[in-house]
Amino acid sequence: MDVFIAEQSWLLTAIIFSPLAGVMLLWLPPYGDARGVRRSAMLYSLVTLGLTIYALYAFQQSAPQVSAGSPGFQLEQRASWLSLPGDDFKPAIDISYHVGIDGISIWLLVLTAMLMPLCIWGSFSAIRNREREYYSLLLLLQVGMLGVFCSMDLLLFYVFFEFTLIPLYFLIGIWGGPDRRRAANKFFIFTLSGSVLTLAGILYLAYYAYTDLGYITLNIQKLTELGQTGFISPGVQWWLFLAFAAGFAIKVPLFPVHTWLPLAHTEAPTAGSVILAGVLLKLGTYGFCRLSLPIFPAASRELAPVIATLAIIGIIYAALAAWVQRDVKKLVAYSSVSHLGFCMLGLFSMKVAGVNGAVIYMINHGLSTGALFLVIGFMYERYHTRSIDDIGGLAKKMPWMAFFLVFFTLSSIGLPGLNGFVGEFLVLLGTAISAGTSDMRPAGPLGFGYVIPAALGIILGAVYMLWMCQHVLFGPLKEPPNTPDTSTGLTTDLNKREISILVPLALACVCIGVYPKPLLNSFQVAIEQHILPLGTVYATDIEPSRGRYEIPIHREPARTQHVKHARIINNLPDVDSSAKIVVDTQRPTDAPYSFPMSQDTVITSAFDLVKTPGADHIE
Amino acid sequence: MTMWLAQSNAWAGIDVTRHLFLFSPMLTLVCTMLAVVACPIIVGRSAKTIGAVVVMGIIASFILAVRVAGEVAGGGISGLSTQPASGMLLVDNLSIAFQLILLIFMGGVTYLWWMGSSDSEENAPEFFILLLGSAVGMGLMVSTSNLLMIALAIETASLPSYAMVGFDKRDRRGAEASLKYLIFGAISAAIMLYGISLLYGLSGSLSVAIVAQHCIQSLASGHNLVITLVALMCLLSGIAFKISAFPFHFWCPDAFEGAKIEVTAWLSVASKSAALILLARLAMVFCAGVSAPEAIGMLSPLAWGIGIMAAITCTLGNFAAYKQTSAKRLLAYSSIAHAGYMLMAIAVFVHPHSDHGQEGMSALLTYIAIYMFMNLGAFGVVAMVVWDTGSDNLASFTGLLRRAPLLAVPMIICLMSLVGLPPFAGFIGKWWILVALGRLNDSLGWFLVITAVVNTLISLYYYMRIVVQMSLRDDGQPALSFPLGGMALVNICAIALFAMFGFAQPLKTTSEQFTRNIFDTTMAKTVVVDAAPAQPIESVQR
Repeated sequence: MDVFIAEQSWLLTAIIFSPLAGVMLLWLPPYGDARGVRRSAMLYSLVTLGLTIYALYAFQQSAPQVSAGSPGFQLEQRASWLSLPGDDFKPAIDISYHVGIDGISIWLLVLTAMLMPLCIWGSFSAIRNREREYYSLLLLLQVGMLGVFCSMDLLLFYVFFEFTLIPLYFLIGIWGGPDRRRAANKFFIFTLSGSVLTLAGILYLAYYAYTDLGYITLNIQKLTELGQTGFISPGVQWWLFLAFAAGFAIKVPLFPVHTWLPLAHTEAPTAGSVILAGVLLKLGTYGFCRLSLPIFPAASRELAPVIATLAIIGIIYAALAAWVQRDVKKLVAYSSVSHLGFCMLGLFSMKVAGVNGAVIYMINHGLSTGALFLVIGFMYERYHTRSIDDIGGLAKKMPWMAFFLVFFTLSSIGLPGLNGFVGEFLVLLGTAISAGTSDMRPAGPLGFGYVIPAALGIILGAVYMLWMCQHVLFGPLKEPPNTPDTSTGLTTDLNKREISILVPLALACVCIGVYPKPLLNSFQVAIEQHILPLGTVYATDIEPSRGRYEIPIHREPARTQHVKHARIINNLPDVDSSAKIVVDTQRPTDAPYSFPMSQDTVITSAFDLVKTPGADHIE
Repeated sequence: MTMWLAQSNAWAGIDVTRHLFLFSPMLTLVCTMLAVVACPIIVGRSAKTIGAVVVMGIIASFILAVRVAGEVAGGGISGLSTQPASGMLLVDNLSIAFQLILLIFMGGVTYLWWMGSSDSEENAPEFFILLLGSAVGMGLMVSTSNLLMIALAIETASLPSYAMVGFDKRDRRGAEASLKYLIFGAISAAIMLYGISLLYGLSGSLSVAIVAQHCIQSLASGHNLVITLVALMCLLSGIAFKISAFPFHFWCPDAFEGAKIEVTAWLSVASKSAALILLARLAMVFCAGVSAPEAIGMLSPLAWGIGIMAAITCTLGNFAAYKQTSAKRLLAYSSIAHAGYMLMAIAVFVHPHSDHGQEGMSALLTYIAIYMFMNLGAFGVVAMVVWDTGSDNLASFTGLLRRAPLLAVPMIICLMSLVGLPPFAGFIGKWWILVALGRLNDSLGWFLVITAVVNTLISLYYYMRIVVQMSLRDDGQPALSFPLGGMALVNICAIALFAMFGFAQPLKTTSEQFTRNIFDTTMAKTVVVDAAPAQPIESVQR
């Protein structure tokens, strides 16, 4: 079928599959020694990083222009993958390999590509057996994560989303701690059982969309359009939202289904933990952000209080749980649960500020928690324990380690000037103003009542993190016998390699903390265009208005018969409650379509309503 | 000789040279058999020599098959006959597509044999005569719609298979398996021949297209209803035995376990898929015959019958695989389950109110192509484990990911693909079958979709058992030694599975091309037109 090619469309495909090429190269003879394997894995991940940075550059370059494919997406590539033509009896199927990025996904892509070389570098001394397999799995994991952030087709999204399970399962199960088998199995079963429900939801959504479009598609843009035009009835949205949430909430993880996370984090090797906290959890929030919010707007509003309540319970509960942990890694793992609660809160404020905060929170959490796991990993390599009871007062002996631990702790608890603060502030702001319309948008589902417990969570977060720092770094020196273990060539304090791993992360934290504007601007464009489109107006929110409105039709005119690009809902009870606007697809795509509105007409539309200047006078 | 054939009256009007060319892939295999017989006399019995001769034969046959594929792309021919419906053999896109798959697979199996047995095997000529014989039988199975030829082809495929299963005389398990297989096969063949004789008696013809007309008439009119149904069921049971569909599957695990691993791999793919294509062709001819509106309702019970058979087959296969500790036996049950999935595709086009034939057929063909790679890879790894450890028990797979990562990784990929998990081709195979079923949009379609999905989840467990055994468990066994060529073979299979996932659309397009212009549908339709006022059944009976 159609193969849409934008400029530099090869770039995303190259980024997604470059780690896979790296894996293949790793397995080709001549087999180097372990050292060679490590270095080549590092090199391959740097290639991916280079490509991603080039993509960032290309993205910024072409930012002002609206791409020819889907508006707001860039570097799009599309090739037919599981499509079938239809006939009189059978619906056509349009499922394609379709990748593209917008202002949100590009930064998550950069985060993923940036963390991976650091993880690989960080594993140089920690992983001493079966290196080739280990680094292959890390690179494969990266393929899955990059793919999720680029997918514009729901099935492709799901395939990548699920694929991340497999490498991480082995990473935890083979290179993990003493309880690794149980951790791996629990992780696998939890996430798989959730995402099976998601798959069911995806298939039903495709079927439901078919009843409107006349063909089966899983194009996310198309489905968003349907969701935004109010075609998916609230009852159906409700169920579909739950089905999608089953997969995403477990991944996030949201409060009652978070129990796999501390175990998986504790048992995973350091790099596994970093990737798990840094990127994999974001797949859940990204799913909510990219799919649930735009495709099921009504259900999201309706269920937002429930999700937000669970998020807040998670924030407080995980914070309290973290406070009593004796294992430093487990403590940070619980702090992840707590932090991701903020993320969810911001998303479901359904305000641009809140979602913006949530997205930047994803990045921040990836940086600071990832770095914390790295620091703890470095410590563990030296002391073979992570228990607060066994170690203490390390600051004098390991000043560099102490510096970084304190630095990332402060970043994690949201010290103003560091990155964590920006996200927290915006999330709380978004939640607080959610109920109002001060930002010229419809009222959101949350309100100030949610801010107070969440703020309490921030205080608790500061308490347990600083408590941990105090015990590990200060006070009398406590070390297990025969440690620090320098038999593997490590120095007592962090060596140059380890410092160089942490410095980029620290720099990124400072940059985002001081000047978050580029990120926030980029997010804002994407959010206003794709996550909470301005056209998302609800029947009850719009003032009955008079005049001519124009709908710019800039979507591809793919359908043959008619298009329900907008829908007028007449709110008079005794009149037929809905009417279709049939848009003639033969019209030039850039010609706006205009239609009259009466006083009693209410519009719901996925499109920006452009009021023609002076149109009021025409009427 | 060609001249003589062309001049003789019986063959008048037939372009013999062209027909012989179209049958040349199978004829080449027959010639290879003869060469294998002659080789010990001329050159010697060395296994490597025989292997080389066979490989050359396969390559020659493959090249010819590719050329024939180009020849028949626009429509097939009915062999050596001026009457389209009465040809004993026919060559069309479908049969050539299967022969191509069969030849590739036979190449893989021969290669596997080369690595595993060529050093120790003393009876190479005998083995290859049997292998080639069964391949010819399978090639014929898919190239006929004549009842007599069906019986002959099934027997040609089966008899060497019995012998191959018990090929190693010193192996008692193999002998036992062979005997079980033989007894089961003989009984099924007898039942099938009985069914065929009844059908012949009813219709006076051996051509399925004509037989189908009579069957449909008697189904519609109620004349000879019981005997027609009995005859059809007898015929079906003979084919179901080859597919190892429920309730004719009992031979499968025992025969697979007892046979040498190359033979097991061969039977699990080639024999089953040949029988599936045969059944598909028969189903297609029957459906093509149903143009009369009153007869359309007749097909619904038939579709349900095949559908339920498919559902039970795959459910049973999956549940029985649950507790197996022998890898060969586990894969045997898995192959039963996969036969069930593939049968579902046939249920798609034995369907009264839509023209889904091609969609179901191309889904089936895609599945077979993918299934070949999955099984070749999985059996290849099992073979190499067996060669090194001497046992196919799951325990010998412990820690394989450490002991031989280059075998364990393709094995994991093949197993995941057998489950049907993305991003491997097994997903694509299931996807097209499920899409075809879903697009029927009726109760049978959805019933089978749900059955297949639930079965996929069930199968996840036992395939994952092997994966877990290989990756997460480790009892410190030493590294595995394996032939490099075998490693390359299974890795090629794994890469193929990955590539077929990515390039699903070209794969589907290709298999659609190979199911276009299938000989028998078109011909049967002409038969319908010609024989519209078909002879009354009474006259035939007289």
